[in-house]
Amino acid sequence: MWVRFCERWFGLLLILGLACLPFFLDKYTQFVVNLILVYVTVGIGLNFLLGYTGQFAFAHAALMGIGAYTVGLLTTRLGISFWIALPLAGVAAAAIGGIGALPALRMKRAYLALVTLAFAELIQWVLIRWKDVTLGTDGVSIRPPRFFDYALKGDYKIFWLILVVTVIMYVIARRLTESRIGRSWVAVRENEIVAQCNGINVTATKLVVFMVSAFYAGIGGGLFAATLGYIVPDGFGLLQLVLHFSIVVIGGMGSVFGGVIGSLLLTTLPELLREYPQALELIYGILLCIFIIFMPTGIAGFLKQWRVLPPEVMSRNWQALRDRPRPEKRS
Amino acid sequence: MDIATLLVAGLANGSLYSLMALGLVLVYKTQDVINFAHGEVLATGAFLGYTLYKVVGLPYPIAFVVAILLGGLLGGLIERIAFRPIAHHPHITLAMVTVGLSFALKGALRIPYGRDIYVFPPLMGHTPIMVGATAISPQSIVTIVVALMLAGALFAFFAYTTMGKQMRATQQNITGAALVGINTGRIFSFTWALSCLIGAAAGVLAGPLSLLYPDMGTNYLLKGFAAAVLGGLESVPGAMVAGLIVGVIEMLFGGLISTAFQEVSAFFIIIIVLMFRPHGLFGQKPVHRV
Repeated sequence: MWVRFCERWFGLLLILGLACLPFFLDKYTQFVVNLILVYVTVGIGLNFLLGYTGQFAFAHAALMGIGAYTVGLLTTRLGISFWIALPLAGVAAAAIGGIGALPALRMKRAYLALVTLAFAELIQWVLIRWKDVTLGTDGVSIRPPRFFDYALKGDYKIFWLILVVTVIMYVIARRLTESRIGRSWVAVRENEIVAQCNGINVTATKLVVFMVSAFYAGIGGGLFAATLGYIVPDGFGLLQLVLHFSIVVIGGMGSVFGGVIGSLLLTTLPELLREYPQALELIYGILLCIFIIFMPTGIAGFLKQWRVLPPEVMSRNWQALRDRPRPEKRS
Repeated sequence: MDIATLLVAGLANGSLYSLMALGLVLVYKTQDVINFAHGEVLATGAFLGYTLYKVVGLPYPIAFVVAILLGGLLGGLIERIAFRPIAHHPHITLAMVTVGLSFALKGALRIPYGRDIYVFPPLMGHTPIMVGATAISPQSIVTIVVALMLAGALFAFFAYTTMGKQMRATQQNITGAALVGINTGRIFSFTWALSCLIGAAAGVLAGPLSLLYPDMGTNYLLKGFAAAVLGGLESVPGAMVAGLIVGVIEMLFGGLISTAFQEVSAFFIIIIVLMFRPHGLFGQKPVHRV
């Protein structure tokens, strides 16, 4: 109870503090803060899939692209309001992702990774080739969203929109992971057969988590489009995916806090390394390997161990990432 | 376009996909993990070959052998440094490390070679050999022959050498293999070395057929996956045959229908296989053991 009480009041204070940020920051820092918040949503979404359910998929960047393009095309080309386009972005990503991943969900884990890797290429290909709709490599510029008669234009004003959406997505994520659904995800991660014996429909659970994760990616993509104001298909390629993986792994797999910590660190890192963009992939890759080998629960896991962060219900002792005898292969 | 021309080009590309699939299947069978860094291994092999052949100026056969040996060494080192400490961790940890490696390797390739595109000159000139109306590029023949020789050597290795037999034993049952005195750690290293050696060979052969750039591996990786899935993911002959099939299908699609679809044929092949024959052409139906 006490922990919950503290978290709630601390969170409220944090949000109020964040809401005052635009009065203190310069334009560029504000932009980086906006990006951090966008990646919180995206990172939490991937964490559901990777950290909570232990499923390996490569489509997150592409699904984010679907979200961004849904918002971009609906608002700019059809003139639909941003407030309708943003939820639609999530729904579109969830629907397309669900259809794409469906054939792989009944198979062994390796197949989901294979299918989504090819699926991500397919989406990118569609974004580039379907010029009549997506404008191809020219990209789409996004009209700033309007709040009644007030245009949310520029980094300062768009910030409040992003903050509100991010807080909503964060609260939903916390609720979801502590609910029956979140527990079923963890059960599937720990042992599919045991989960099945406990009455969990494994395939349905995997489909749900994939679609929820895609929904978060879609919403994140929509916000991303609003932040940048201009999107191109190339922005949702492998480099974007490296960033997502790094956010989840370095922040902490199987922890909602992990998404927040990861995006805070990894969105600022490329801004600090602006001088050496070619080193970025190398650094991300090495960081990923080091963290997964030596600190599989990431920074959030470390902080939880030292009681800096409150424990999260289903991820207190994540055994799945520690040493465990390998299941016998069939002979 | 003549069908026979397409077929030969398809077989040439297909033999590269076969080699890719072989490398993936070897590691998958032994360590139960899909090596997502295999595309970057191919790119590394290609750049090693390019550097040795064009920059250092070694004769082609020697450059080829040195490049693939270096590729094999890289594979052994990767296993020893990154995978041995976590060999008994669950699937997702291992898979994540291969992803991290793939980014790291790509980043490492970008430091000396930047974002430029390099051209690997074909081994025996550009003029195609004409057989009737069929144009066959000499490079295709080199690719097919070398790939077949490698595959033959691999089969002989698995059938007749002690190391090959030990590898097969480890693939079937790690605990059992360890019990009869096989040094499974060494087998892991050799499997990775062998897999990366084949990947590097595919890279050197792919050089003249495609262009050289650090991202070149992704395309081959996807086609290699398609071939591995079609072959059943656990079958070495399956990977060989399926690679050739994928190459030919892709070329026929590209030549007869539309070249744009060539790039995404891998996805459709994987999806169709999963829908109609999930265990592939040569795989066995999976058995779950509790």
